[in-house]
This record gives sequence, structure tokens and C-alpha cells, in this order.
Amino acid sequence: MRTLYRLFKSVKLAVGSILILAVLCLLSTLIPQGLDPAHYLNRYPQPLGRLIVALGFHDFFRSPGFSIPCLLFAVNLSVCAASRCFGRLRRGLRLRLGPDLIHAGLLVVIAGALVSARLRWERTFFLAPGDPPAELPGGCTLRLLDYRQDRYPDGRPKEWVSIVSVQARGGTLIGSYPIRVNHPLRLPRLKIHQTSIQREDTALLLGPDGGLSAIHRGQYFEWRGAILVFAGIENGEAVFERRQGRARPAVHRLSVSQRIGAYRLVGLSSRELSGLTAVRDPGFIPAAAGLALVAAGLGLAFVQKKGDDRP
Amino acid sequence: MTPLALSQILGSAAFGLLAVSLAAQAVFLLRRRGGLDPFSHYPLAAAAAALLAVTVERSIRIRFPAVTNTFESLVFFAGAAALVLFLHRWIARRLLSPWVQFGGTVTVLALLAVASSPIAPRELLPPVPALQSYWLVLHVSLTFLGESFFIVGFVSALLYLVSKNEAEKTRLERLTYTAIGIGYPMFTAGALIFGAVWAQTAWGSYWSWDPKETWALATWLVYTAFLHSRLAPRLRGRVSAILSVAGFVFALFTFFGVNYLLPGLHSYR
Repeated sequence: MRTLYRLFKSVKLAVGSILILAVLCLLSTLIPQGLDPAHYLNRYPQPLGRLIVALGFHDFFRSPGFSIPCLLFAVNLSVCAASRCFGRLRRGLRLRLGPDLIHAGLLVVIAGALVSARLRWERTFFLAPGDPPAELPGGCTLRLLDYRQDRYPDGRPKEWVSIVSVQARGGTLIGSYPIRVNHPLRLPRLKIHQTSIQREDTALLLGPDGGLSAIHRGQYFEWRGAILVFAGIENGEAVFERRQGRARPAVHRLSVSQRIGAYRLVGLSSRELSGLTAVRDPGFIPAAAGLALVAAGLGLAFVQKKGDDRP
Repeated sequence: MTPLALSQILGSAAFGLLAVSLAAQAVFLLRRRGGLDPFSHYPLAAAAAALLAVTVERSIRIRFPAVTNTFESLVFFAGAAALVLFLHRWIARRLLSPWVQFGGTVTVLALLAVASSPIAPRELLPPVPALQSYWLVLHVSLTFLGESFFIVGFVSALLYLVSKNEAEKTRLERLTYTAIGIGYPMFTAGALIFGAVWAQTAWGSYWSWDPKETWALATWLVYTAFLHSRLAPRLRGRVSAILSVAGFVFALFTFFGVNYLLPGLHSYR
């Protein structure tokens, strides 16, 4: 036990575990994160792809390869901080609150991050005014009343504003609010952010049986062994990509009334959607408190160190 | 005179002043007089003032602090680094060696050279919605202020690694620690704390493991390891100096490499 204690209070272990974490973090940036395991098996040579998936490197920050060094770092940090505090108290020395606050703050940040990793909830809704309301947790609904996009003279976005109404379960109106980028709507235990915009292009297709079907950008249908992907509307024409095997996709541009596969294009429409992200993150408050402790600790450590250096 | 021409004149003046400062330092170093020359820090201060004036002038034009693209960030970084070098010369001249000042000035000139290259377009563009946040201003400005001190730490650590003189090594080690000791809290506050607060406000996620965030964290971890390595007698000295050099290399990659090589939320140009 004593050996273990000595190991965990060692500065060399602290430096080692910090550097291991740094190196692992950097390695993770060399591999795209969070994709389907099949992607890694296809993209990399088989043994490397299998190794990436087996070690969890494709979702590194949720894998034991990251959590174990993190745990080691947290234990090392706790033991070092406690041993420093008690050591100074035993010797009757004044506490160095700066470094202790930094260490305590980092532990609180790690705790907050763990809570976020387990309990954070996020969903993005793409809505246009008049669309059916989106369901939020707790039985509330979110309806987009209006949406405005201001642009600079060169066409770049200047401001996006969504006016939304939130209704509680049973239809009671909680309120209607504007949401801007960097100015989220704060509801109890939930925030709604203006995160993106999207254009929804729709092509209306008439089938051989006389039935109408709508296809949105990114959707596809099969025809004679090929896949026909609706890539959107450009200059009033529908753009379809025909993909077959490993050949480069062939692009087809169609005006209304022209044929694509077994269908005839009978209509095109386009509309702007507002991307609203609802987030519930019980880990943010502890993480923010931890960051505030780190900031206070850094300030205090700096002042104390400056005092020490004075003759 | 159009405001764009004014900032071009100020930028060119800053480049010229830095070149004059560098030339004066080189002449003094070649004469092997030892100690710091009595002149070169004045053009250095004037260059810092000119670069910060470019930032102010562009900020007035776009009605927002001008630190929202690569060019503006580089100009601010170079101005802050020149100011930090001048402050070291003024306040900590007992620690500052002429070679550290020379290396620091070369780094500032290199930053300006990159700013004037095609990889950093200099159009005057007001920020897109996500960048219109004062948390972003705190995030960027404090990060670059911290990294300006890291430049001094980097150059003095490099010199430590090649120096054979024990007295000189002690002085360089002290300078590296002082510079990083001041830069580290600024970098922590700017890159990690205000960055997290801004990300939470803009996207609802204070940490996304985006490549830039991950590299900034790795940079911070390396500097944290540096500060702790000084507490272990066996690591103090050479290992600390290597960590200081590695930390600055990581900081540079976080700024340049990630923007151009690793796609993510921060891949703006």
C-alpha cells in the first residue's frame, strides 16, 4: 500500500501520465473519429483497420485506451494534491492555495466531463416556419414561428434569427423567443442553440403507376442496378448523380417534365430550414465550476509565486 | 488615404522596424560585445505599436475586434510577441540574453512573413455569426498573449540545449521558467477556459474533441508537464528544456497545421 502511495504521489508519474495523455490525444487526431467500424476496415489495410477498431481508436475518447490513462492521471492528481496539503499542514507551513485550487479544479472538470459523457442529451431539428412542432424532453414542444437570415453585401451570413414558441405538455404556451447564434434560448435544464441553416430541395416525381413521390436532397432510388441520388437544385434544374459500381458518378441535369429512371420530374421546390440544437448537459455546471477554480488557482499561484520571488 | 492603405503602410512600417531591430542586434552580436545592445528594443516597441494599430484600425472598420481570421490573428500575434519581447528587455533585462532577443525577433518577423503570404488572405471581412462573440475575442487574444511568452520560453530553451556555459544555462533556465510561468495562465484562460465557454454558448458543447481543441489540450499538457518537470531534480534542466521546445512546436502546429491539414470546427482560413 505504501509503495502504491509513493508511486502515485510521484512527480515523475505525473509528468509521465500527462505526456502519455498528450501523445494519445495527438494520435487520435490522425484518425477520423466516430465513423462506422466498416469505414476503417475499408479505408485502411486490413490489419491496421482491425487494430484501430479493436483498440477503440475510432471512438478514442470513449475507449478504455483514453479512460484508463485519464483515471491514472486523476488518481495521481488527487494523491499528489492531498499529500502536498497534508505535508505542509504537518510541517506547520502555510498552504499554497494556488496549485491546490488548480488541482481541485481539474478534478472537478474531470468529474463534470464524466457526467457530460454519460448524461448529455443533444438533438438538432431542422425546421421551417409552419412545420409541425419538434418534441423536446419533458413533454415540451418547439415550434418555429419565423426565421430571418441577414447577409453582408458580399453574400456571407451576418445574422440568423429564429423566433420560436415553446409549449408545455397540455398546450400551455411557455413563451416565444428569438434565438441567435451565440445567444441560446435558456429553458429549465435545457438550452436551444441556433447552430446551422440548411436548404431543403425537393423534387416531385411521377411514377409509372401514376403515383407522386417527393424526394429530398441526399435521398436516392435504384434503377437498373444503378443508384440515382438527388443532389439538389441548381439554376432551376434538378441535379441527379448516377452511381454504379466503382465508376465516377455521372451527373444528370433535368428540367421539369423530363424523365429520370422510371420517373418523370413534375415539380421542384426549395426552402430554407433553421437548424436548432437542443442540449441538456448536467455536466456543464460542474465543469464550468472546475474551470473557474482552475482560473482562480492560476491567478493565486501567480501572485504567490511573485511574492516568493520578491527579495 | 483609404483605411486599407493605412493598415498596409502600418504593416510595412512594422516589418521595416523589425528588420532594423534585427539588423542592430545582429551587428551587436557580431561585434561580440556581450550583453544587450542599447538601441534595438526601441524599433521593436515601435513595431509592436504599429501592428497593434493595424488591429485597432481593422477593428474600427469591421466594428468588431479584428482577430477573426488567420491574417488578423497573425498580425495580433506578431504585435503581442514584439510587445512581450520589448517588456522582457525593459523589465527582465538581467535575465534576457541578446541571443534570446534575436531569436524572438526572428520569430516575430517569420510570423509577419506568413501574414503577408497568400495563405493568409487580408480581405477586410466582418465576422460570420458564430464568430460574433466577445468570448471569442477573449479566447483568441489571451491565447496569443500566452503564446507570445512561449516564444521567449522556446528560444531560451533552445539556447539552453546548445549552451555549454553553466552560468548561462542557469540564466536561460530561469528565463524559460519565468516566460512560461507568465504565459501558461494566459494560455490556459484563453485557449481552454474561454474557448470552452465560447463553444458552450455557440454550439452547446464545451468540448467536442475537434482536432484544434485536442491539439490545444496537448500543448497545454506539455507545458503542464514542463512546469511539473522542474519539481523533479532529475527532469529539471535538459528534459524541461525539451518540453518547452516541444510545447511551442505543438502550439505552432495547433495554429497553422490544424487549420490546413486536419479538418474540423476550427478549420477557418
